[in-house]
Amino acid sequence: MASRPELADFLADVERRAFKQALFAVRDEDAALDIVQDSMMRLAEKYSDRPAGELPLLFQRILQNAIRDYYRRSRTRAGHFVSLSALESPEDDVSDPLDHLEIDEELNRFATPHAALLQAETLNLVEEALQNLPPRQREAFLLRYWEGLDIAATAAVMGCTEGSVKTHCSRATHALAVALEAKGLRP
Amino acid sequence: MSQEDRFARQLCRVLDDGTNQLDHGIAERLRAARERALLQQRAVLASSVKIGAGGTATLGGDDERHPLRMLLVILALLIGVGLTYVWNGFSQASENEEIDSALLADDLPPNAYLDKGFQAWLEQDSPSGD
Repeated sequence: MASRPELADFLADVERRAFKQALFAVRDEDAALDIVQDSMMRLAEKYSDRPAGELPLLFQRILQNAIRDYYRRSRTRAGHFVSLSALESPEDDVSDPLDHLEIDEELNRFATPHAALLQAETLNLVEEALQNLPPRQREAFLLRYWEGLDIAATAAVMGCTEGSVKTHCSRATHALAVALEAKGLRP
Repeated sequence: MSQEDRFARQLCRVLDDGTNQLDHGIAERLRAARERALLQQRAVLASSVKIGAGGTATLGGDDERHPLRMLLVILALLIGVGLTYVWNGFSQASENEEIDSALLADDLPPNAYLDKGFQAWLEQDSPSGD
């Protein structure tokens, strides 16, 4: 069973990323905060008896479900849903931006006097590109790479096959590379 | 690590920088949410300790997470109802047995109770008996 310090440490570690994940998805700070708060409460209320090692997977399941619930409610209210699939990397794209990966060099320039401004600009571009991904691709990308879940765990959280996770991650990465390159940040 | 993985992890480093620069107000609201969640955990743990110490269980609430436990409770209730039914059957049989024994052991034969003349004689005879 997770002790109070273990739960406290886990929540402190994950809360900011969780907020960003929710914000990328719902694009509303208050709604994102509500989603994170509800997810934390649900974790504490329903899964206090689970070992600390299970908390990341459980929390991500709760969080992603909360985000999906928000989508469903929004769709019901608005009667439509913005499709962002146009930003997906086309299947017949001959040039692969990942072939000339140079973002490290861009990031290394954070150490220069222009660091703060450049970092903020880069962050905005990356966050905007992430926001524009189709929801399932963004979910897979963030769970797999940012939360560090393995493919099986990501598939469990998303309720899909491991093959789908690989496909979503690959498409997300390529779409991000294309989007960032279009904004002048060479991926 | 593949090129794709490397690129993804670079982007995640940028995202990590972003979480460190989160607006103070949002960071505070997240901290408050975390504190509320921890209080909730304390309340849940306290209630489960009470249940354990008292040796009783309640339906719903905590049990909703344990279908097996719910099933066992329902099974125990059904067994209880079944045993009560069987016990009542035995009691009834025992009472009937006593009545039969009393009737058979009595000086008056049981057929006398079916005789209308005997009933009438009893009714006529009762006042003088008093």
